[in-house]
Amino acid sequence: MAWQDYVHDMQRCTRCSYCKWIPYRYMRNTDFAQGCPSLSRYLWHAYAASGKFNMAYSLLQNRIEIDDTFLDVLYKCNMDGSCDISCKVQQDIEPLQLMQELRIKCVEDGQLIPAHMLVIEGLRKEDNMMQSSKADRGKWAEGLKVKNLTGESAEVVYHAGCRYSFDQELWPVARGGLQLLMNAGVDVGIMGTDEACCGGRAYELGYAGELTKYAEHQMEAFRTAGVKMLVTPCSDCYACFKVLYDKIGKKLGIEVLHITQYLDRLIKEGKLKLTKKVPLTVTYHDPCHLGRLGEPWIHWQGKETKVMGQMIIHDPPKKFRRGTNGVYETPRDILKNIPGLNFVEMYRIKEYSWCCGAGGGVIDAYPDFATWTGSERLKEARAVGARAIVTACPWCKRNFLDAAKETGDNMEVYDIIELVQKAI
Amino acid sequence: MKLSREEYQALENIVGPEYINQEPVIMDTYNQVWGNKFFFDEKHSVRPAAVLLPANTEEVSAAVKVCNKYGILFKAFSSGFEYLSLSLVHSKGILFDLRRMNRIIEIDARNMRAVVEPYISIYRLQLEAAKYGLFTGRIGVGYSAGIIAAECCHHGCQHTMVFTSGYGRNVLGVEWVLPTGEILRMGTADSGGDMFSADGPGFSLRGILRGRTGANGGHGVITKASVKLYPWYGPAEWEQKKKPGEPLCFGQLDSVLDGYRVFVPSFPDLDKTLEASEDLCRAEILCAFGIGIIGTTQMQEGNDEEWAMMQKMTRNIDPAGGMSIANSVVAVIGGQSTRELEYKEKCLRAITEKWGGRFSPILNEPRGLARAFADIMWSNGVNLRSTGDFLPSSSSPDGSPAMLKKLALQEGEVKKRYEEAGAFLTMGSGMRMVSWRPEENLSIGAQGISTAQYDPYDPVSLKAARDFIDELFDPRSPFNRYGVPSRGGCLQIEPVTHIHQNWGPLYDNYDKWLRQIKKMLDPNTVGDWTAYIPPEYPDYAKEGDYVLPSYGKDERL
Amino acid sequence: MAEKELVKITGGSNVIYKPGVLEEYSQDSSFTPKVKPRCVVRPANVAEVQEIVKWANETRTPLVPISSGAPHFRGDTVPGTAGAVIVDLSRMKKIIRVDAKNKVAMVEPGVTFGELQTELAKSGLCAYMPLAPRQTKSVIGSVLEREPITMPSHHWDSTDPLLCAEVVFGTGDKFRTGEASGPDTVEEQWEMGRVQMNPFGHSHVDFQRLIAGAQGTIGIVTWTSLKCCYLSRLSRALLVPSASLEPLIDLIYRPLKFRLGGKLFILNGLNLACLLGKNPKEIQELKNSIPPWVLFVSFEGYGVLPEEKVAYEEVDFRVMARSFNLMPANEIPGASADDLLRLLSQPSPEPYWKTRFKGGVQDIFFLTTLDKTPDFTAAIADLARQQNFPLENIGVYIQPIVQGTSCHCEFNLYYNPAKNSEVEATRKLISLGSEKIAALGGFFSRPYGAWKDIAYRRAGGTINMQKKVKDIFDPNGVLNPGKLCF
Repeated sequence: MAWQDYVHDMQRCTRCSYCKWIPYRYMRNTDFAQGCPSLSRYLWHAYAASGKFNMAYSLLQNRIEIDDTFLDVLYKCNMDGSCDISCKVQQDIEPLQLMQELRIKCVEDGQLIPAHMLVIEGLRKEDNMMQSSKADRGKWAEGLKVKNLTGESAEVVYHAGCRYSFDQELWPVARGGLQLLMNAGVDVGIMGTDEACCGGRAYELGYAGELTKYAEHQMEAFRTAGVKMLVTPCSDCYACFKVLYDKIGKKLGIEVLHITQYLDRLIKEGKLKLTKKVPLTVTYHDPCHLGRLGEPWIHWQGKETKVMGQMIIHDPPKKFRRGTNGVYETPRDILKNIPGLNFVEMYRIKEYSWCCGAGGGVIDAYPDFATWTGSERLKEARAVGARAIVTACPWCKRNFLDAAKETGDNMEVYDIIELVQKAI
Repeated sequence: MKLSREEYQALENIVGPEYINQEPVIMDTYNQVWGNKFFFDEKHSVRPAAVLLPANTEEVSAAVKVCNKYGILFKAFSSGFEYLSLSLVHSKGILFDLRRMNRIIEIDARNMRAVVEPYISIYRLQLEAAKYGLFTGRIGVGYSAGIIAAECCHHGCQHTMVFTSGYGRNVLGVEWVLPTGEILRMGTADSGGDMFSADGPGFSLRGILRGRTGANGGHGVITKASVKLYPWYGPAEWEQKKKPGEPLCFGQLDSVLDGYRVFVPSFPDLDKTLEASEDLCRAEILCAFGIGIIGTTQMQEGNDEEWAMMQKMTRNIDPAGGMSIANSVVAVIGGQSTRELEYKEKCLRAITEKWGGRFSPILNEPRGLARAFADIMWSNGVNLRSTGDFLPSSSSPDGSPAMLKKLALQEGEVKKRYEEAGAFLTMGSGMRMVSWRPEENLSIGAQGISTAQYDPYDPVSLKAARDFIDELFDPRSPFNRYGVPSRGGCLQIEPVTHIHQNWGPLYDNYDKWLRQIKKMLDPNTVGDWTAYIPPEYPDYAKEGDYVLPSYGKDERL
Repeated sequence: MAEKELVKITGGSNVIYKPGVLEEYSQDSSFTPKVKPRCVVRPANVAEVQEIVKWANETRTPLVPISSGAPHFRGDTVPGTAGAVIVDLSRMKKIIRVDAKNKVAMVEPGVTFGELQTELAKSGLCAYMPLAPRQTKSVIGSVLEREPITMPSHHWDSTDPLLCAEVVFGTGDKFRTGEASGPDTVEEQWEMGRVQMNPFGHSHVDFQRLIAGAQGTIGIVTWTSLKCCYLSRLSRALLVPSASLEPLIDLIYRPLKFRLGGKLFILNGLNLACLLGKNPKEIQELKNSIPPWVLFVSFEGYGVLPEEKVAYEEVDFRVMARSFNLMPANEIPGASADDLLRLLSQPSPEPYWKTRFKGGVQDIFFLTTLDKTPDFTAAIADLARQQNFPLENIGVYIQPIVQGTSCHCEFNLYYNPAKNSEVEATRKLISLGSEKIAALGGFFSRPYGAWKDIAYRRAGGTINMQKKVKDIFDPNGVLNPGKLCF
C-alpha cells in the first residue's frame, strides 16, 4: 500500500499518545515507561507516530510540503515499531507501515538524507551497508574451516550480515556463532565474499528497490547453493529474510532462523551442552528486529465493512501484526540454561522493548541520537541490577558499546553467542 | 499566521531556540485530534503559529507576558488528547506543550497529597503513590491524561469517583500563571507554605479556577498542583502479564490484588439494578463502581476479533438465561484488614440479595474479575476503535439517580432513532441502558453517562451525530431542564457550539459572571477561549435568539 | 429616610433602630472595635433581600449579613464601617425540604442546628455538626464559614457539607449555585428528581466556593442545601488518653487514612473538661482528673449492617491503637466516651461550653497538617509561659478536615472578662500567638478580626485576585466592607 492509502489511519489517529509510551498495563517504573526514543529525545509531537499520521494527512491535503523539517522528523526515528504495538493495543491502524511508506515516497521524490545517500551508494557499489569493500566481506571468517557455498554445498547457510562482516570488533561474535554450529556438527557454510546485503536496512531508509533487488539476488544465490536453511546472527537480517521478503512477495523458499533459534534447538536436542558456570547478573535486550519486527508478515486483501451500525470491520477479517509472534522466549530460554547466570528482566521487554538506538538508519545519519537511545537502555539495565546487557544483534551490540564508551558506562555488553561460548 | 520576527525572537529568548518551533510540518501535528471533524469539518483545527516547550513556571510566565505585549493568543496542554486542548480561536496563537514539566515534586504520604507538574499522568502518579499505600482517582480519558488536566482544567469522570471524588474537589493547591503572566499561588502556597489547602484566606479562589469543568486552557496555565490522595489497599507493585503468544491487550493481573475484592452482581431488571446501585453506593463500601458498562470478558485485540467474539457469545449464551450486562454492576471493595473486607462483602451481598441479584458464574470468573479490577481502577484505555470516534452526548448532568434515570430513558428514545437508522453503533439488544457514575458515595449525586459512537468519516453517520447533538443542545428542547449540555466543557467548542450564549439565560445567567471573570483574568484576551467563554458574543446573535451549532470553520492560516 | 425605604421592603416592624438593639449589634465577645450600625433590617425572603441589596447599591450603604443569634465571638458581625445596616436573616427559618433518600436538607439562614437535627431525625438523618456549637448558631452561618465538622472521613472538601445555595450577590442579582441553577423553580426541579445535591458549577465556575469563607462579602445566602448523614442506629465511642500529643497524632493518621470511624478529633484535657463539666467547679475537678490529651473516636452504626459496621471498626481501631501502645477505653479518669458522644449530636447545652469555665474565651484557630500540631502547641505554650498566661487555661482542639489532608487547630484562651488583667493578658497572647502561628506556617484560612492583617500580609497574590473577584460580585463594595481584604 502506498502512503496515500493509509488515509483511513491518518483520519483515525485520535492523538491518544499511547504511541509515546509502552502500554500502560506493562508500566512498572515511571522512569522507564516511555516507548518511543524519537519522541523522548526530540519532544515535539511530530516525532511520535501520531505526529507522522498528522504530517501525512497534511501532506495529502497539500497543507505542507516535504521539506527539511519533514525529513528530519521522518528520519530521526529508529523505525523500531514500539509505537506500532502500543498504538495497536487500542487501534486497528498501522503507524509503522505508514512511516515506511513515507520514507519510500521521500526516496522516490528524491528527498534524500545525505548520510543515507552515502550508505546507499556504498551498497550499490559494494553490496554492503558499511561503506566497505566487497572484497573484504568474508574476512571475518578467515581461518575457520568452513565451507564456502559458492563452491561447496551445505544444508545451512550462515549469513553474517553487513555489520558482522565489516565491524572488526564484532568478528569474534560472528565467528563464535559459526563455530558453535560447526562444533555441534551442523552442515553449515558461508557465502564468503559473495555474501550480499539482505537489503532490509536500505528498505527501512526508503529504498524499496534495493530490497527487491537483493531479495531476488539472495533467492537465486541460495537456490544455486542448494541450502535448505538460513541461519543468521543478525536480527536485522533475520527480519528482512523472514518478514520483508515475504511482505514484497519474495519469500525465500528455505527455513529462516535466527541463530538463537538454532542454538536453542541444539541445546534442547542435547547437541550443545551448557555446563560451565557464568557468574554474571545479566539482562536481555530484545532486538526490535528479532522481537516485534521479526513477527511473520500477514498478507491480507479485502475491504472495510461495517456491522452493528457503525463498527468498522474487515471482510475477510484482517489480522494485524501486533508484535505478538516475535522471537522473545527463545533467547531467554538459552540464558536461563546457562549455569550460574543471574537473569533479570528490564522494565521494557519483548513487544514493548526500548530500542538500542541503531535502527532505521539513525546510526548512520544521527549517531548522537543513536548513542543517546542506547545509553537510556543502559540506564535501565543498571536500574534492574544488571552488570551486563545481552543482546542478539550486532547493531544493538555496536550501539551499546558506543553508548557505553561515550557515557563512560561500565556496563558489559554481550551478544548471547558470547555467553553461550563462555558456558561451554 | 506566522509570528513576526520580533514576536518569535521574544519568545525564543525565553525558552531557547531548541524549545520553540513554527515549522508548518511540526505545527500541523498540534491541531489534529479526534472530534475535530465533528466540529470543524476537518481533522485539523487552526494551525498554531508556534509551539513552545517551556521548562518551568517562570518561562511560562515570561512567555505569557510576551503574548500580552504582542497580542498573541495562547493555550497550554499536557497530553493534548482532547480537541479542546489544542483548539485555537485564531491562528495568531501559540501552544505551550508542557511535556518538559514532568516531575512528581512531592508525595506527602501522611497528609495524603502529591504535588505534581502538568505532564505527570494519572497512571504514573498511581504507580508512585501505590508505593506509599496511596491512590489517585482517574477520569475517563485513559492513562496518559495529566493529573493537573483532570483535577484543575478539564471535565471528566470515572468509576473511582465514588471513592476518590473529582471535578476539582481534590485540589489542595495550585500555582497558576494567569493570562497576564502574573503567578498566583492559592491558599497556603501563596506564603510559600506546604500546599495543603487552596482555600483562602477568606473565600476560595478555587471557585474561579474551575467549576464543573475547567477552563480548558482558557484562563492561563496551571504549572503545579497539589492533589489529594486516597488509600490504596493493594501492594506497592504489581504486574499485569499475558501468556506468550497472546496479544498485549490480554495482559492482566493474575488475580484481584490483595486488599481488594471484586463482585459482579446481576439483577432481574433495570429498576432493581438501579435501586441496588444506589444502596451499594450509599453503603460507603466501594472503591470503584460501574453500572452495565464494564464487562469481565476479555477485550479482543481488534474490531474483527471483537466482532467474531460477539457472534460466538450470541450463539453460546442464551439471552433468556437472564445474564444481562446492562443489569449487572461491577463493584470493587477494599480494606486495610480482613475484617473490613468481610464487613464490606457482607454488605454487598445483603444488598444484592435484597434486590434479587445473583452472581452469575460467567461474570464472576476469577480472571474476569481481575481484568475488571484493572480496567475499572486504572484504565481500559480509550475505546475509539469501534467506529473511530464517540460523542459524549447530551448534558450528562450530575444529580440524583432518579433524575439521571429519567434523562437517560428520555435521551435513549432520541438516540434509538439514529441507531435504528444505522448511524450509530448499536448493540442491537433494544435494552434500556441507564448508567451513572457515583460521586463520593453518592453523597453529592452522580454523573449521568450517555455516549453515542459514530464514524466521523462516514457522511451519514457524521450528519446523524450532528443532528442528534442539535436536538439535545437546542435550548428550547425538553432536555433544557437537566443542566447545561456538553458536560460543562467536553463537547463544547464555543465558536461552534455557542453553549454559553444559548444556555446562560436559562441557567441564572451564569455566563454573565463567567464572562466577567474571563475579562478580569485576561484583560487583553490572550488566553484562548474556544473551550471557555468568548469575551463577547458574536453580534449576529440578537438577544433571545438561539444559535445552534455551526459546524465547520473559517480558518485563515 | 433610609429606614423609610427599608420599611417599604420589609414592613415597619422589621426595621429596627432602637439604641439597645443597635448597641447589641455594634460589638461582640471578640476584641473587635465597636462600630454602631445604622439600623437592623430583618427580611423575610429572597425578594426582600434583593430589594435591600439594590437599595444599598443605590445609596452606597454597607450591609452586614447575619444569620446566627448572639452571642457572636469573631468580629465578623460587627460592622467594619460606620453607617452600616445589619441584615438579620434570622426570620428566614424554614427547613424547606428534607430528602431522606438522597440525604439532602434545604434550609434557610435562620435555622439552627437544634432545629435541623430534630427535623432530620424524623427522616433517619442527622446533620454534620461542628463541635458543640452554641444554641443560636445558624447552620448556614456555620457551613458558609467553613466551620470544621467532627466527621473528617465524610469531609471530602473544605466546603462540605455545603451543596447548593441561593444567593443574592452584591449587585442584587439572584443566583442559584450548582445543580440548583436552571429554568425551573426548585419545586419543579424536585418533581423531575433534581434535588439540589450536586455542588459543581454551573459551568466553569464553582460559585459556592466564592460565597463560602467570604464572611458575607460576596453575597447574601438565602438558602442552602446540605449533605446529611444517616442517623446511627447504634454507636460506640472510645477515648484514647495520652500524656503527650505526639502519639495521638501518630494514631489519628491511621483511621483517617482508611476513613475508619465517624467522629474523630483530639482535645486537651481542659477542653474535654469544658465540654463535660456543667460549671466552673466541675470543670476544674474534671480538668484535674482527665489526662492531658485525649483522642475521641466514634463508630457509627448505619446502613444495612450497622452492628457489624460498628464492631469491625472498633476492633480495627483498637488494633491500630495497640500498635502505638495506646489504650482506648470507654471510660477514662474524669470522662466517659458515651457522655461526650451524646454531646456531639446537638448544640452545646447552655451555657455555651466555651464560656462555662471562666465566662470569656478567645479562640485562635488556623489550618495546618496534623504532624505540625505538636510544634504549634509547644509554641503557644512557650509564649503563654513568657507572657504569664496560665497554661492550664488554654484549651486545645485538633480537628482533622478534608479527610485528614489538613486539620483545624484551635487554641481556646479562657479568661474572666470581668478581670482587666486577664483580658489584657488574653489580648496580648492572642496577638502574639497569632503572629507566632503564622510565622510557623499556620494558615488563617478564615481570617476573622485581627487575623486578616496577619493572613493577608502573606497573601499578596490572593489579595489582588480576591479584590478583582469582589469587584465583579459586589462592585460598589456594599457587602460587609472592612472584612477580609476589603
